[in-house]
Amino acid sequence: MRLSINKSRSLWWGISCAIILVGIISMTISWLNPDIRAPLRPGLDFVGGTRLQLERDCNVPDNCNQPIDIVAVREVARVQGLADSSIQIIGDNGVLIRSKNLDVEQRTNLQKAVVEKIGAVDPQKNQIDSVGPTLGLELFKSGVLALIVSFIGIVLYLAVRFQFDYAVFAIIATFHDVLITLSIFSIMGLSPLRTEVDSLFIVALLTITGFSVNDTVVIYDRIRETLGKNPGQPFTDIVDDSVNQTLSRSINTALAVVLTLVSIFIFGGETLRNFSLALIIGFTTGAYSSIFVASTLLAWWRERQEPPAPASTEPLAN
Amino acid sequence: MKRQRSLLALIFVMVIAAIAVIAVPPFKIPVPLGLDLRGGSQLTIQVKTTPEIKQITDRELEAVQKVIEGRINGLGVSEPIIQAVPPDKVLVQLPGINDPQQAERVLGGTAQLEFKQQKPGVEPQLIAFRNSNFELKLELEELRKTKDAVAIAKTKEELDKNNSAIAELFESTNPPLTGKFLQDAYGQPTQGKEWKVDIRFDQKGGELFAALTKNIAGTGRNIGIFLDNELISAAGVSAQYAATGITGGGAEISGGFTAKEAQGLGIQLKGGSLPVPVEIAERRTVGATLGKDSIQSSIYAGLGGLILVLIFMVWYYRLPGLIADIALVIYALLSWASFALLGITLTLPGIAGFVLSIGMAVDANILIFERTREELKAGKTLYRSVESGFYRAFSSILDSNVTAWIACAALFWLGSGLVRGFALTLAVGVAVSMFTAITCSRAFMFLAISIPSLRKPELYCPDLQQTSTKAEVAK
Repeated sequence: MRLSINKSRSLWWGISCAIILVGIISMTISWLNPDIRAPLRPGLDFVGGTRLQLERDCNVPDNCNQPIDIVAVREVARVQGLADSSIQIIGDNGVLIRSKNLDVEQRTNLQKAVVEKIGAVDPQKNQIDSVGPTLGLELFKSGVLALIVSFIGIVLYLAVRFQFDYAVFAIIATFHDVLITLSIFSIMGLSPLRTEVDSLFIVALLTITGFSVNDTVVIYDRIRETLGKNPGQPFTDIVDDSVNQTLSRSINTALAVVLTLVSIFIFGGETLRNFSLALIIGFTTGAYSSIFVASTLLAWWRERQEPPAPASTEPLAN
Repeated sequence: MKRQRSLLALIFVMVIAAIAVIAVPPFKIPVPLGLDLRGGSQLTIQVKTTPEIKQITDRELEAVQKVIEGRINGLGVSEPIIQAVPPDKVLVQLPGINDPQQAERVLGGTAQLEFKQQKPGVEPQLIAFRNSNFELKLELEELRKTKDAVAIAKTKEELDKNNSAIAELFESTNPPLTGKFLQDAYGQPTQGKEWKVDIRFDQKGGELFAALTKNIAGTGRNIGIFLDNELISAAGVSAQYAATGITGGGAEISGGFTAKEAQGLGIQLKGGSLPVPVEIAERRTVGATLGKDSIQSSIYAGLGGLILVLIFMVWYYRLPGLIADIALVIYALLSWASFALLGITLTLPGIAGFVLSIGMAVDANILIFERTREELKAGKTLYRSVESGFYRAFSSILDSNVTAWIACAALFWLGSGLVRGFALTLAVGVAVSMFTAITCSRAFMFLAISIPSLRKPELYCPDLQQTSTKAEVAK
């Protein structure tokens, strides 16, 4: 089996563009949606507010006999002037309240009133977060800044070790992976899942960047080596050969990493679920883009630089 | 071969040392878990500028940190972590505290204490204002029970106005007798049910206090004790002190406190007043069980996934796969020991960085063995194939790992808390994986091919015979 990836490159580019296009449409819809007002549904970390997650203590006799009455909890919130809070029941015995940023007094009052309605809660299982909106914004800014600086560093390194155009296309491929992950999470945010992105999502995007560049570099390394051995061959052939020679490595590596992530996704804790999902999407597209996007883009660019009609001028060396 | 021997011996020693650091009691260095994994509260305190102090420098930040340390230590929380986060934040971590209410109260206030003297001739206003102050407080108490948010806010506003009107009736001494002249402050029970706060001034404070009391002794005017510009207590000074003032450097604040309030106020005052106002910008609380649940299930899941990867490696790469598995186990031991030795606190993103670095370690091995296979298929001898497998794969491993380090460095310098934890474990993991993939796998591989019964090419590449004719196919 030999893949001639360069022949069908318009197909690979088409697939990527289609997904990204759908993603951009979804991000635009999210942006226009008055509930979201951002390309992806932002979590507490970015918009600020208080998130109060309580779980009933079922060791207390008769505490968990009745299911939690969400209407009663809403009423509690309304009485405290928090009518616009979002209230959700989690599992059988958990309740999650999201509201504007509350101070200690307001929060304790709310918690007390809710406990009166639903019964005693287990303080060991509480999760209480309050975030000012500036903090999430700072995290976002510092994340983006770090990303830009690391991109510049990587471009410089690759430009020295390879050539400048290799570096640029490696970054484009990485961008592609980040965009696709953003697209899918934007769609999930619009869907009934209402998936929110938090600060861990930024960490996930950084991880994807690291993996994707790494993956592309291995293929570029092989292209560089093959090119050194056969300088006369057309560049597209060299790219095809190199991709095929590294294909089983690309697949096996992606498989090994995604295998671990899938098990964390399925069996791991709730906290890591969206994080591992983002990594699974990003790593899969990372492997895809290294094989089908980064290498074909490089071949296309090199073809344009050196029109493939050298036969009439000089005889080739070797 | 002698070099190989000593290398194997070195690896052996490192593994023993790593196991000792991880598990054997006298050498054991535990890897501290972050709050997201073990439960507790984290407060991020934002330091704010004032008209006088327009920019927060390291000096202000350090001063704030000291004060906060003092206040937290007064609370008696075990193992608190207080960290300055330049340019303008202080991070407080309180492990095991599920509800940081008291900490928030103690930290949130500036607790600016000041002793002021009443201006002459304002007695009637003062009495009127204090009466309405009392009424407003009662009203607020009543309203709190009804939970009428609008009315509460309105009453609070009136109370604030009233408080500043009262403050207007008093004037500061020169220099102002504030908390910075305090030596000690502690809550004490009075004879009744209420508590008071006893304070001791330092020498300069004692002199100022004596001058202040001397000034108003016998005039009928009051000393006002203000906390954050709110009058908590006012007292006259009898004429007997007119000559010298109250000397001795001690005073007490009685304001109808409960035991908890008096003790809290004592801590706040003793910890010193903050040079600049602060605000709690973020609080995060993770219940201890929640943290434990999520770490346990994630660790089991991660281990399960890793075992699958190990099985896959043996199934696909045969003997080299087994060698890679041994190298990966060594890798995991060495990385964990490095975390312990470097004192890295493990958080959820940190675990993510570790998982990614395991992926990179696997990738390095895969690169080497794929290369070895190709060379075998191209008809080289086993020894030459293994040799050039390592040699050729090295440049890809180096390039991909250096790019990972560049990214880690940028994330570490520029990122904030979460991101830094991730960058740190990833960087350490990648460094260790360079060592294990290149040194350990290599030493073991050469050991394997020096044993005659293991010197069969089928053990390295299962379908060598069928594929050797079409050497270019990679699969």
